[in-house]
Amino acid sequence: MNTNIRWGYAFNQWKQGWQGFARVEDHIRAFKATSAAGFRQLELTAFSGPWDPVGRPESIAINFGSVRKFAQQLPDWGIERIASVFLDVRQLSFEDLHFGLLSTQRAQHAAIMAQARLHAESVAEMGGETLVVAPFPHFWKEGALDTGRLQAAADCWNAVGAMTKALGLHTVLHIDALSALRTTQELDQLLALCDASCVNLAFDTAELTIAGHDVVALYRRYHSRVRHFHFKDALATDTLGEYQLPHAERAMFLAGGQRKIQRWFGELGTGLVDFPGLLAAMNEQGYSGLVVVESDGGPTPVMSSVLLNSWYLQRVLKVLPLSA
Amino acid sequence: MTDSAPNLRWAYMDHWRIDSPQGYVSQYSSIERLDGFLKQVAALGFEAIETFDFHVPVLIDLFGSLPNARNFMQERGIDRVLSLFFGLMFDDRQTQPHLRSTHDNMVRHAEYIVKSAAGLGVENLIVMPAAQYHAVEPVTDEKLRACAEVWSRIGKMTLDYGIRTVCHHEFYCGIHHLDELRKFYAWSDPRYVFWYCDTAQHTISGVDPVKLYLELHDRCGGFHLKDTHHVDLIGDYRQRPESEVTAKTTQRWFWEMGTPEGLVDFPNLFKALKEYGYRGWISVEHDKADFGGNYPESTAVAAWYIQNVLKKIYR
Repeated sequence: MNTNIRWGYAFNQWKQGWQGFARVEDHIRAFKATSAAGFRQLELTAFSGPWDPVGRPESIAINFGSVRKFAQQLPDWGIERIASVFLDVRQLSFEDLHFGLLSTQRAQHAAIMAQARLHAESVAEMGGETLVVAPFPHFWKEGALDTGRLQAAADCWNAVGAMTKALGLHTVLHIDALSALRTTQELDQLLALCDASCVNLAFDTAELTIAGHDVVALYRRYHSRVRHFHFKDALATDTLGEYQLPHAERAMFLAGGQRKIQRWFGELGTGLVDFPGLLAAMNEQGYSGLVVVESDGGPTPVMSSVLLNSWYLQRVLKVLPLSA
Repeated sequence: MTDSAPNLRWAYMDHWRIDSPQGYVSQYSSIERLDGFLKQVAALGFEAIETFDFHVPVLIDLFGSLPNARNFMQERGIDRVLSLFFGLMFDDRQTQPHLRSTHDNMVRHAEYIVKSAAGLGVENLIVMPAAQYHAVEPVTDEKLRACAEVWSRIGKMTLDYGIRTVCHHEFYCGIHHLDELRKFYAWSDPRYVFWYCDTAQHTISGVDPVKLYLELHDRCGGFHLKDTHHVDLIGDYRQRPESEVTAKTTQRWFWEMGTPEGLVDFPNLFKALKEYGYRGWISVEHDKADFGGNYPESTAVAAWYIQNVLKKIYR
């Protein structure tokens, strides 16, 4: 067992719709349930609106007194800490007064920085270590990247990275299946432009598989820049290039695209990702850090997915201690 | 047993159902669904399941034999089917514990069940020792003696198969008031008839399960740990056709351990277990947790309570 890996769970699957899962007691129940499954570090998702008591620092303060008090209460529910927050600046934000920001547009960098700082300071106060960001617009909105826009995005995230570094955090870039960044050549360029001391990669096994990558080979290529993982399985790949569809996040992911794919993400070991192979590569490279397991939607009840992932980590990969 | 070896092992009494494209179905409806159920329960540290006797033929249908079924469970971290709940169809013509005319048939039926379960590792046959209250009342001493007789006969028989007969007193059971319980255990053979402590059922009946454990600890064959938010104050135990689902007090009697409104004093129960040095299996049961909830989440919350509260008292 690689004791340098710290296993956490993303908290994004509990939120069903905008106004569901809005009560503090529901969150406490979910914290306990996740803890019982063996996951005691969490990744929160930045959220807009008053319907998520842990979606923004001001929401946390309203519901728990302050971010610090919230962090102090977590052990009462079996959670050691909030290790990271996922921030997708492409999503609208009522509080930040935008309908989605583009890192490729320099004019929007100040707004991105302000939003990133808000969440980074919160992560730092909660004792976390990582700000996970969606670094590029979707391809259907941005088109293929050129050198200028790649440089603009790199500059944006280097500035955010420097800000988080000053807070004792790391910024990691989460490339998803719909991202404007598509190729290893573009990834090479991006990483060459990013400050390795504070800006590296969040490696999402399902998103990258859907985008057509062999994640074991990809990890071997970029292992020195991978500082964060999202572990989830992929049940299909985007063989038709549907990331190019207008509103692909709806047309491809939610509607299933031309093939009417019912479900893109699955529990570990049920799909296309070679997790034993990836874990072996991680151990060979001495990966040390967070691995955040993700359900990322899926059928209800959401706890089933958490438990099935826990079982796989306990009994197949043998990286979590057996529950007893 | 070393100091570090736990005194308790944890089992899970199975009422789950699963959402599927075919509707809300049993997890015994396919190998894939049973696989998912077993993995989820095992992931929370449960080492055995309990189920109903009518699932035995389904397991044979799915796996070809019960040893094959048990092997499938063990590969997923579930060692055995610890207990079978005896699904008695109470009827004056054939199965009615307070009617001696049905006893021979009951013994034959019970023997058929325990024989047919060979290969699953079953240790307990769980029974409701009398029919619903409305079918038994007036609950007379003579009826209680008849119940005690038949379960003593059945308990002696099941022990020949290595299985204990354990009695589980639903709040609507013909034996659920404290005086009825005391008489039943006084008149049944302590060698053959054991008590299964369902914490919620006794609490709903107005019987404190902790005090009852102090009285019956030497007869205790196991537990169903579940909680309730209500005591039956209006005689819902007489409600027809079935008090658990058509009562007036509440639509949902049973809750997992760890809800703020829960009435069962589990910490005090575990102090009692520690005092008497209870060793063996403890089962968690979630019955009708899908009334406004769902089984996986309820099971995880109960597991949290075990890990963070109960094991700190006694393990």
